[in-house]
Amino acid sequence: MSAATSVPVRTTDLVPDQPAAEHQEATPRRRPGQLLVVLALSVLVLAGLFPYLFMIMTSLKSNEQFTASYWMPSWPLEFGNYAVAWQQIQPYFVTSVVVATLSIVGTIALASVSGFLFARYSFYGRNFLFGMIAALMMVPNISSLIPLFVLMRDLHLLNTLPVLVLPQIAGSVVLATILMRTFVQQIPQELFDAAQVDGAGGFRLFVSIMLPLSLPVIGTVALFTVISVWGEFFWPLLVITDDSLRTIPVGLSFFQGQNATNWGPLFAGYTLASVPLLLVFTFLSKWFLAGVQGGLPGTGK
Amino acid sequence: MTEVVRPVARPWRRSSSGSNRARNRGSSRVGRRSSPWLIYLGLLPTFAVLAVLQYYPAISGVVHSFFDWRPGFSSPFVGLENYRTMFADDIWWRSFRNLGVIFAASVTLMWLFPFVAAELVISLRSERLQFLFRTLLIAPLAFPGVVTTLVWSFIYDPNNGVLNRALRAAGLEALAQNWVGDPRTALGALLMIGFPWIASLPFLVFLTTLQNIPNEVFEAAALDGASRLRRVFAIDLPLLTSQIRLLFFLATISVLQYGFAAYLVTGGGPDNATQVPVLRMIGVAFQGSDWGYATTLSTALFVITLVLSGVVMAIRKREARDVRSH
Repeated sequence: MSAATSVPVRTTDLVPDQPAAEHQEATPRRRPGQLLVVLALSVLVLAGLFPYLFMIMTSLKSNEQFTASYWMPSWPLEFGNYAVAWQQIQPYFVTSVVVATLSIVGTIALASVSGFLFARYSFYGRNFLFGMIAALMMVPNISSLIPLFVLMRDLHLLNTLPVLVLPQIAGSVVLATILMRTFVQQIPQELFDAAQVDGAGGFRLFVSIMLPLSLPVIGTVALFTVISVWGEFFWPLLVITDDSLRTIPVGLSFFQGQNATNWGPLFAGYTLASVPLLLVFTFLSKWFLAGVQGGLPGTGK
Repeated sequence: MTEVVRPVARPWRRSSSGSNRARNRGSSRVGRRSSPWLIYLGLLPTFAVLAVLQYYPAISGVVHSFFDWRPGFSSPFVGLENYRTMFADDIWWRSFRNLGVIFAASVTLMWLFPFVAAELVISLRSERLQFLFRTLLIAPLAFPGVVTTLVWSFIYDPNNGVLNRALRAAGLEALAQNWVGDPRTALGALLMIGFPWIASLPFLVFLTTLQNIPNEVFEAAALDGASRLRRVFAIDLPLLTSQIRLLFFLATISVLQYGFAAYLVTGGGPDNATQVPVLRMIGVAFQGSDWGYATTLSTALFVITLVLSGVVMAIRKREARDVRSH
């Protein structure tokens, strides 16, 4: 395959443009065949997205269309599948949104205060207490699943909203506190000094300076919490038996059982369940990427 | 970035009025003399939540691993009995053997594809194309894991599944089979979920690191006549080692918690072919009602994670020192 066929060349390139496929070796790294690279990447993209494309395509078919034209989209598009799916998915959807919202509010409320205090005040036991929180990063959730279940049962909280929300908050608040503390430490001290000179107390500093400036990190925490609620499986599976309190991950697995051969609505349900996360990623992906990359030493910069 | 913030001095160690010294050091501190009990009061809610929902369950799990725990009834102390059971538990060992396979796959295949993809993306010269492909490659991340898993479990459906349909359409009827129902293929099928595994943390890490390599390095290599492949081995991979080491431990720790896809697609079967520790633990507790033994298994997982995290910390500390000494 000729590498020089349709390679777009930017004028800013240091290496002068090679006219045609005379000597491809002359520019070893720069033209390994951009077309080939694009082709290879396209194959990978298609392989990665295929299941989702198939899901969306099939979500718009009736069962007859599914049998008759398995590989190709077919008309008319059956948007009715979405109405059918929504009816069944809706309670899970509502529960997940409620759990996510309450968890975010709870996590932010706790983590902003503790992050602020850890970042800006010195007090006896500060490093020890912060270490106690950071150490929880090393406790895998799954290892306290069973004792936590028994605890919740003893508190008669099984099958309630708090049993979904409280452990979520306790889980998110660990990372959130660490993120908040790191972030607040970076706020210039002058801002706080100036406010103190004007007579602001600790509470005022927290509400008027720290909170508004922390919006980016609050966004990151919210994002991670939503992702975690949409990903948590075993806990809601084990603590909830009431269908209307099932979250999306568990609800969807039950939904799958109910629609075993109802292909259109089944895939419509999967698609619907993906929408919130898709929206979150579309609008907040910058924060997500910053969070992921900032969290690893040497990857951020 | 975080290094700059480091001067959060720890002078409280020395004296109770250490905060003054912290200020002198130019450290960021606000309420020097504000009433400390207010600070503790502010931290109380967080620690209350953590105490009840994190510390207590973790400790309770370890403690109850020495009991024949029957919540609500008398739970006699049995010493190491549960641990003896664990070492004699064939299914438990089987689950770790599967975990070994899963781990091997996740640090080879599931890194190879992201690595190749990252190399391909950075070889694109058009920035717009780079952005486009990066976005498309990580797009599957935006789908809930449960959706991905359920769609893949449909792909393996013996009758209507994509895989068997494709094989039949290609005239390879003989190869079609019940992928997740056959002990020989079930684990492999489970591991293929998410193929080509590019929407992942390793991809993001590889890509960012490669993008951060200064262009001069590549130009110098090109001048020396290094080929593309040569560059990958001589420059890219060595520059990635510290990231790879970290990803390696993160993979170990996340593989230990693997379970949700196996639960959804195979339920640990057939014939324990996809049994993993997490599923075994949940099965012992909720089907076997053997709560004491289940906490023993969870304690074992906890201890393994702890040991591995300790190793990570040690390595990170050493690396941080290396970075500073440069």
